[in-house]
Amino acid sequence: MRRRSHILRHLVMALVCALMLIPFYWVAKTAVTNENIYAYPPRILPLKPHLYNFVDVWYLIPFARYFANSVIVSLIAVAGNIVFNAAAGYALTKNFAGKRIVVLLFLSCMLIPFQATIIPAYLVSARLGVLNSYLGLALPLLSTIVCIFVFKAAFEAIPASLQQAARIDGLGELRILFRIMLPLAKPAIATNIILSFIWSWNAFLWPLIITRDVTMQTLPLGLARFLAYVEDTTGALYAFVCMVLLPGIIVFLMAQKEFIRGLTSGATKG
Amino acid sequence: MSTRAILTSRFFVVPAIAIATLIAWNLYVAAHAHGEVSGKVVRADGAPARGATVILYERNLTSHFLEKTRTTTDAAGEFRFKDNRSHQIRLDTIGPDGRQGQPRILRLWFAAQDVDLRRPLVVSPSKN
Repeated sequence: MRRRSHILRHLVMALVCALMLIPFYWVAKTAVTNENIYAYPPRILPLKPHLYNFVDVWYLIPFARYFANSVIVSLIAVAGNIVFNAAAGYALTKNFAGKRIVVLLFLSCMLIPFQATIIPAYLVSARLGVLNSYLGLALPLLSTIVCIFVFKAAFEAIPASLQQAARIDGLGELRILFRIMLPLAKPAIATNIILSFIWSWNAFLWPLIITRDVTMQTLPLGLARFLAYVEDTTGALYAFVCMVLLPGIIVFLMAQKEFIRGLTSGATKG
Repeated sequence: MSTRAILTSRFFVVPAIAIATLIAWNLYVAAHAHGEVSGKVVRADGAPARGATVILYERNLTSHFLEKTRTTTDAAGEFRFKDNRSHQIRLDTIGPDGRQGQPRILRLWFAAQDVDLRRPLVVSPSKN
């Protein structure tokens, strides 16, 4: 009886998974054909699939350049997120005057959409002289409030006695953070890596505003440019989408276990 | 973390496989990207079309196909281009009598891929 309900539960979950994967399947299917996505009745299986659309994308636009730009910006954003968020999350585990106000400020800032801060962010970047640069592209994503709280939750789950022991051994706060706390917060690091990577990888509006040079553009901007030029090639467009998505999916699949653990750690604490 | 654990970790294995595949593919491309496009032009009856003009068009982002170069076939109806730099080309043929053949679009796996047409180009195609 229990076995039967187990199988039934898995069947339902498999069905839900399949339903959620349909849009991805449709994108992949269109990418390997040149089918019209509005054709009726829709074809379930691809007819004469091929990979030439991917070749078109690679050569018709400077894909490698856009890809390299996206990788560099994402790496800067990921590195910044780990360092700054870990430091901020660690600070929030301490008791200090005005901590409540700082936490409230963080939480209220999460309510402000990024679009509303675009102009100040642009002006700050201009003052810093980082317009049209990799650092400028990564700047607003160097620290994200959600990820600060992920680190905070992870650090709070570590016994305080470890920190006290380290302090007795003469370690300073920074060394406690990087030598003791961070190695014990691997799921939080994985969560930070995945979230910051995906956010910076998919960022469109900020790179659109801050880049002036075509050679500094990232993949989402390249996708928009490609769409502007190649209107009649749905297959190539979807191939481009697949190529943009693939690195993010690979990073997620590699670290999904840690990612889920990082997001759920501290979630059930009373 | 031991060296063995690092080497067998998916964070090492997946990027390593990706990099190895990339290197192997680039080596293959380097060995087969001389830009040579060769083939044969025949008449509708299958006889070699001597003196037919073959025009090579290259695909680009803004203007689709743009003429790159042209050549004429030899006595055996064969032709060869040596400077194709594109990944997608179109070959047009004009017979010695001025009649145009059916254009053929070739989609290649990489730019300047060496290609030898298996099916010959046909000029003066029959009307049926």
